[in-house]
Amino acid sequence: MGVLKKKKTENFSSEASILRKRSPREKVLFGFVFAIFAIYAFSLIFPFLYMFLNSLKDPYEYLLESSHLNFPEKALFSNYGKAFTEMELETSTGSVVGFPLMFLNSIWYSALCTASGVFASALTSYCVAKYRFKLRGVFYGIAIFSMTIPIIGNTGSFFKLVYQLGLYNNPLYAIVTTFGGFGFNFLVLYGFFRSLPWSYAEATFIDGGSHATVFFRVMLPQAWPALLTLCIMAFIGAWNDYMTMILYMPDYPTLASGLYVIESSLKRGDGGSYPIYYAALLIACVPIIAIFAGFSDVIMSNFTVGGLKE
Amino acid sequence: MNTATDAAATRVETEQKPPKKGKFGSMGGKKRGELIFLACMLALPVLQWLIFWLFVNVQSIALAFQDTRGGFTWNNFAAFWDELHATTGKTIGVAVKNTMIYFAVGVLLQLPGALVIAYFLYKRIWLNKVFRVIFYLPAIISGVVMVAAYRSIVDPGGPFEALAALFGGHLPPEGLLANSKTATLMIVLFVIWTGFGGNMLLFGGAMARVPVDVLEAARLEGCGPFRELVQIILPLIWPTICTMLIFTFTGIVNSSGPILLFTNGDYETTTINFWIFLKVYGQQGSGAGGEFGIVSATGLCFTLVTVPLILLVRWGLEKVPTPEY
Repeated sequence: MGVLKKKKTENFSSEASILRKRSPREKVLFGFVFAIFAIYAFSLIFPFLYMFLNSLKDPYEYLLESSHLNFPEKALFSNYGKAFTEMELETSTGSVVGFPLMFLNSIWYSALCTASGVFASALTSYCVAKYRFKLRGVFYGIAIFSMTIPIIGNTGSFFKLVYQLGLYNNPLYAIVTTFGGFGFNFLVLYGFFRSLPWSYAEATFIDGGSHATVFFRVMLPQAWPALLTLCIMAFIGAWNDYMTMILYMPDYPTLASGLYVIESSLKRGDGGSYPIYYAALLIACVPIIAIFAGFSDVIMSNFTVGGLKE
Repeated sequence: MNTATDAAATRVETEQKPPKKGKFGSMGGKKRGELIFLACMLALPVLQWLIFWLFVNVQSIALAFQDTRGGFTWNNFAAFWDELHATTGKTIGVAVKNTMIYFAVGVLLQLPGALVIAYFLYKRIWLNKVFRVIFYLPAIISGVVMVAAYRSIVDPGGPFEALAALFGGHLPPEGLLANSKTATLMIVLFVIWTGFGGNMLLFGGAMARVPVDVLEAARLEGCGPFRELVQIILPLIWPTICTMLIFTFTGIVNSSGPILLFTNGDYETTTINFWIFLKVYGQQGSGAGGEFGIVSATGLCFTLVTVPLILLVRWGLEKVPTPEY
């Protein structure tokens, strides 16, 4: 074990040293690119610093400033508390939804979409990757066809169906409409399941296990890295999705859709303050940044896609 | 066992279980159990696909030929044709022009840009791990947050105006995002600024699988970074590039920026994707005034135009030989 570990470390360091070898001309090129990367990185960080700086200001101080680049006269961290109590909107039914409820809506909506979407893809991709049956080719074809042939303008039809099925403004929407097993997740999991050896399944069958046992107890745990990556990506996607909520579930505003509505009223001058709004925006980012910080290695190392040919 | 035999053994082991021959009845409980298992696993996802993909698309085609009372009409196509020739407002004509701009930006700037960024990160440029995380941030942070930050920086009274003043310039009083001449450009700049993260990660993942021995051999032959990227890495990660290109072409009509967050389609910024959203959402919101017929007719026309193009692109890309490694 120790030898293996040492060998692995040696391999890694030799790989790294090959990738780091540079001629003098390359060093100049890499120095130039580094400068561009540094400027670009700063440009991406700057908006967050800017929002943080302004989130600590008094609303009047913010309004009277010209470039909003000054440090606050007095850092008002209380604005972050006010974001929870003062940020609210009115839904079509007349009920008032505050920031904590938007937060809660974001959590359940993202969790349901993630669980439903990834689980459905796991079911279909596993069957298509590991079993030979008559419709196998058809299912693979459907998955590729659905992804690569654009059907445009079906949003009207989809909206009509959602309305007819009673899913409009209904939390069930998050489960039912995402339980499709043939999207991008299918492609990723299909590749992963294909690479898993079938001998594990055969050993389980010999021990008296069923097909379900093989899937739930043997294959799914092995697909954990890919599943975790897809879950994280799906969760982030659902957390940030504002258009779906505005269109199909307007009475359940999440942080993304709710803050959009609040900003619209700020722009119209219907009251509210930008410093508190910036505080709310930064709070909305915290869960996503926390997830990313905790799982960045998993995301970075597992998020790959190959060709579309079977 | 040598390496080649090992590889062959692994390949055989990982392939699907071979089918058992014979009729269903003679296969006994094992085969029947397998079929029941497959049926249980696939029933709900397939039902979901039948309803939310197949039925939705069939209904969408039908809606294109229906008036508001369900009767047959060609009017939706006539309305589409009229709007296609409009050159101002939230119309299809403006939407098509803007959509093509976003698509061109995606293919010509975002994909190659992400590829180059991924290459330098792969080559372990100094602080590569820090850059990788920062460059990926726009892909995980909500568009609402990024747009709010961008707006407050470029709008009048923000840091951008202060910066312009340093160089003797000034912004129009209404700002760059509330001006028909500059609004789309400003949104395109936003899309470029935030648009490298996801593709960069996928390209980086593909590059990480490239065998470094190949790169070392090329280096011994005197290969520089440009040739290394174009002649070695690019062919080796071709399946990933191919897939990304196909996805980009598939999304040609959906190419857009966050129009709702920026301008709500005002100032000649609408795109096809946003135009569809607006028509379904209805001018009053909550779908009450949704114009499904014209949306479906428009979608049908664009689908008929883009599908052959995408099939052609896919056919062409798949013709390029892929090296095995």
